[in-house]
Amino acid sequence: MKSRMEKDGNNIKSRREFVRKAGRIALAVPLITVPAILSRKTHATGFVWQIDPYKCTSCGLCKTSCVLTPSAVKCTNEYEMCGYCDFCPGFLRQGARVYDTGAENQLCPVGAIKRNFVEEPYFEYVIDEDLCDGCSKCVQACEDFGNGSLHLQIMQHLCVNCNQCRIARVCPSNAISRISENEPYLSKDRNKKILRGKNRQDSAGGEMKTNH
Amino acid sequence: MNLTEKQISLFRTLSIITGIFTMVIAFTMIMSLIQLKSSDPLSSPALAAVYEQFDRDPDNAANAEYVRSLDLVARKAYFTARWQLETGSYLLVIGAALFVLFRWLTYSNEPLIKSKLSPKPVLTETRERNRRYLVISAAAVVLLAVISSFILRPLMPDPGRTRSEKVSATGSAGEIPMPDEINFPFFRGAGGRGIAAGEGYPVEWNGNSGENIRWKIPVPKHGKSSPVIWGDKIFLTGADGSALEVYCIDKNTGNILWTGSGSDFPGASKETPESDQEAGMAVSTAAATEGAVCAIFGNGNLVAYDHTGKLLWGTNLGVPEHMYGYSSSLLIWKDLVIIQYDSDTRLAVIGIDLKSGKIRWETPRRGRAVNSSPVLASFEGIPQVIINGSPEVTAFEASTGKEVWTMPGVKNDVAVSPGYNKNYVYICANYEKLIAIKAGKNPAVAWEDNTYTPDVSSPAATDEFLFISDGTGGVACYDAGSNKVLWENYFSEPFYASPMVADGKIYFLDRKGVMHIVKAAGTYELISQPELGEDADCTPAFSEKRIYIRGVNNLYCISND
Amino acid sequence: MFKKYNRIIPYLLTGLMFIWHSVLYAQQQMRYPRPEFETDYTYPTYQYISQRSPVWEYIDVAVLIAALSLTSWLVLKKRSRQGIVWVSLFSLAYFGFFRQGCICAVGSVQNVSLALFNSDYSMPLTALLFFLIPLGFALFSGRVFCAGVCPLGAIQELTGFRQVKVNPKIEAVLGSVPFVYLGLAVLFSATGSQFIICRYDPFVGIFRLGAPYIMVIFGVLLLVTGIFVNRPYCRYLCPYGVLQNIFSRFSYRHLSITPAECINCRRCEPSCPYGAINVSDKDAVDEAVVKPSAGRFLYPAIIAVIAASFALIAYNAAPLLAGVNKDVMLAKEIRLEKEKGIKAVSEAAVAFRESSTSEEELFAEEINVIKRFRAGAPWVGIFLGLSLGLGFYRRMTRLPRTEYEPDRGRCVSCGKCFRYCPVKPN
Repeated sequence: MKSRMEKDGNNIKSRREFVRKAGRIALAVPLITVPAILSRKTHATGFVWQIDPYKCTSCGLCKTSCVLTPSAVKCTNEYEMCGYCDFCPGFLRQGARVYDTGAENQLCPVGAIKRNFVEEPYFEYVIDEDLCDGCSKCVQACEDFGNGSLHLQIMQHLCVNCNQCRIARVCPSNAISRISENEPYLSKDRNKKILRGKNRQDSAGGEMKTNH
Repeated sequence: MNLTEKQISLFRTLSIITGIFTMVIAFTMIMSLIQLKSSDPLSSPALAAVYEQFDRDPDNAANAEYVRSLDLVARKAYFTARWQLETGSYLLVIGAALFVLFRWLTYSNEPLIKSKLSPKPVLTETRERNRRYLVISAAAVVLLAVISSFILRPLMPDPGRTRSEKVSATGSAGEIPMPDEINFPFFRGAGGRGIAAGEGYPVEWNGNSGENIRWKIPVPKHGKSSPVIWGDKIFLTGADGSALEVYCIDKNTGNILWTGSGSDFPGASKETPESDQEAGMAVSTAAATEGAVCAIFGNGNLVAYDHTGKLLWGTNLGVPEHMYGYSSSLLIWKDLVIIQYDSDTRLAVIGIDLKSGKIRWETPRRGRAVNSSPVLASFEGIPQVIINGSPEVTAFEASTGKEVWTMPGVKNDVAVSPGYNKNYVYICANYEKLIAIKAGKNPAVAWEDNTYTPDVSSPAATDEFLFISDGTGGVACYDAGSNKVLWENYFSEPFYASPMVADGKIYFLDRKGVMHIVKAAGTYELISQPELGEDADCTPAFSEKRIYIRGVNNLYCISND
Repeated sequence: MFKKYNRIIPYLLTGLMFIWHSVLYAQQQMRYPRPEFETDYTYPTYQYISQRSPVWEYIDVAVLIAALSLTSWLVLKKRSRQGIVWVSLFSLAYFGFFRQGCICAVGSVQNVSLALFNSDYSMPLTALLFFLIPLGFALFSGRVFCAGVCPLGAIQELTGFRQVKVNPKIEAVLGSVPFVYLGLAVLFSATGSQFIICRYDPFVGIFRLGAPYIMVIFGVLLLVTGIFVNRPYCRYLCPYGVLQNIFSRFSYRHLSITPAECINCRRCEPSCPYGAINVSDKDAVDEAVVKPSAGRFLYPAIIAVIAASFALIAYNAAPLLAGVNKDVMLAKEIRLEKEKGIKAVSEAAVAFRESSTSEEELFAEEINVIKRFRAGAPWVGIFLGLSLGLGFYRRMTRLPRTEYEPDRGRCVSCGKCFRYCPVKPN
């Protein structure tokens, strides 16, 4: 009796071993083929998410959709396009009648835009990125009434570089895409054309910068 | 680890303290988060009301003062909430970690759980029960499937209904890609017939002043090939000696997204054939399709890249022996790359599998090597590749490479590609003649003329008109069905680029880079003559309200906005 | 004199601004010329900071491999629950709080399926490695990833103090949810519609303190539940756990409750909070050994019927499921506006109106998406049907066990049972 039980037990064990082995081989196949299939479709790092300022419609989803709070998307000013206007539509609330830094006249809800006097009649507008929450109010205003020098960019030192950017998935104008990390920012300046890297060089208009 | 009673109670107390601490922190943080997300102090109704009040009476200094103070409060609240979240997270992690540690120490001495054991399941019963489940669930699922067919089917929007119009629009051409507004897949556009879809293309620009030039980039290496477009990407080839390159350029920004080599694959030819030194190796225009782009170079290297710059495959078709250098552009039909291969020793049309790079079919051609490019057309429902050879013009079935029809054509040096519309195929050779062929299984010459015989520039035909620009600077519009010249004009510079019809206009680009834009109609009406400011021999590409022109050195994006 | 006009000037200027606007809007060019500074003002230069060095991504992979190897060793050789807890703590700190949960094996399922079924998407290599390596380890040593490396698992493991046994039937029903979740996640990502796993990740909000607060609250609630019903996410939701489950069933080695031979003392029976210990049939009647022979072909046929029915259901539901797609949603909104006059106000609709895309293109795209859903949904149905049918079939044809052993599919190798086994290693 006992021996039969043992024998059966052994049979069962060997049967289980067999099934397990077969299954293991069957599962190892996709484990090897998937990377083989995807080998052409992967990129070994070197890509970051960025907003194409020309596709962006400044809808405001960047502020709320980013996995980070505050969002990794910040406003930047493309100085070479900026008009340095006294009545900066990105800085001043619509309807503001006095052009000064009074809170009642400012558009930015967090006061992230600093207005510095340069010379008559020019003012420089600098964005304090620590304060900016990427709400894009100023971007919209600058696009509509100004030179469009203010634009949104994903700040790469803040971005956690998700597998799939959450903002990109909801962006109504598909403005967010992966770009090379060698040139992780997209300039608003059309004359500059080529993206700016970590060490921005003032390349002459039309000159192409090679990837470094 | 054995702990004394005292230690245990200490740890228990500590764990309770840390637990409460963590809970408080977590609670505060959640509250801050809710506050930040739902009732953002910066967009509170109170603040908005104050702003409104201020707007109504902007001269009241007190109002302004009030706005400032309230705004300050709101900002403070906002930044405090943000600060709370940031510091809170660290406290939370530390608190939770300590809590877990103490908790764990507290329990480390506890005896093993002794609970009453439930009776063991009986194997035979388990089997029986699961057998029953299997049968029941099968019945239930089948029932559900039947019900879902009745309930869910009518809910679906019928794909056929909304689709019907679209199908009829594209279906008439019989699987031939119709010009579409976005993609400009081949040399001279979809089918290679010189017609671009879309409207609102610019008619005014100036390459010198930058007017309407959205961007301009220097093309790294020289080439005579024209840009092609798929989606947001422009593809271009360039060569310098035996260094062959494919460029992928962002249509919107002009950034070179990637550069692929045309000779970096096993079996690549490194040879530089002794042909026309001026033209170089990058003369043939690439062809693009969904997910792939193919390019061929003067030494017979054929490469396919995907749109991210990964080499799909590369192959060498043999270095062509050709007096003027190999120059035929590629076509893609479904999953076939179609190559008009012209060499003194091997004259053929070849279909290559786009996925694998293997030859699917090859049909030899008769006559001698030419410089024209094939076009993709459909007559009598057969998608066919038409080649203006010397001395024959021949159509090959795109799927199999079988000859569909052939007839004697032009005999001189042929560099002009065919033009076609729904009835005719137009071929031509310099110093010889222009022939309109009634295409189909029984081809026939419809008419001939020898007034305008371009040497390089290929004709573009709509169903009503045939447009020609020749090597002396002459342009003409023929009636598509007869050899009647409806209008003609003489511009002083010769034409190499082929004319393109788009948005009811015909765009003639001369060798000095001046675009002569004429209304595509039976009477001559010059619209404008914008200058590129650079010599240009390549045929422009049209996509989404923008024109892309390759000059001798630069690639231009011309746009109204 | 000048004071008199002071009040009007701002209005005049605002008016001028509007004229400027209307004149220049169409051109979208520089409305105001670039100033020519008389002072020696220079344009400020941005010091743009780059993404952290890519080295970090390799470090992530290295840490993953190291943690997996360490956990395997702790589970298989060292048999140390304590060690596993420390590794979990580390993983929680590193992958959870330090990396903020955004290089994640659970979510990588979607990248893989998006890359597999879309020619124009290419996925990051690290995401692929994060998908494959834990599965490779599962095939070798069971669900060690779940035990000590997954930050989502770790946060639950560390907060599960009390154990409430769940009724096996309820466990089985809830345990089928992840299969559906996985199926939908793969379908949605393969059609390029949504990344639901990431969107409804309950703990990432806690890691980053930045998710929509509903998700943070859901995460906290799940954690609180987890104090009693341990690892609720892993057991009743986690889609990657399904893959781990399948791979682990055929693993080369696996955690064993006893270090030597099982003496059938039943002490470990209540130790597992996940109900992942398979009870021994040692005392069961001998007849149990007899194999069920009837229906050798009938039952596989029934399984096939179940799979086919599921496929049909999924196919029928495809257009409904396609509703999660951005374009389909937008198309519905636009169509409602056209047919019923309900104004389309969403951000997407506003952006659509501004864009140059025509309605025809949008509707064509909608049809296209629905087509893709119809192509993909039956496969998901087949997967679900097969999982269900085979689950029953396996238990139906089960052979008797002589030892207490972990259920290789469900056991997450947490090592809680080690303490309960009185057998000493020989």
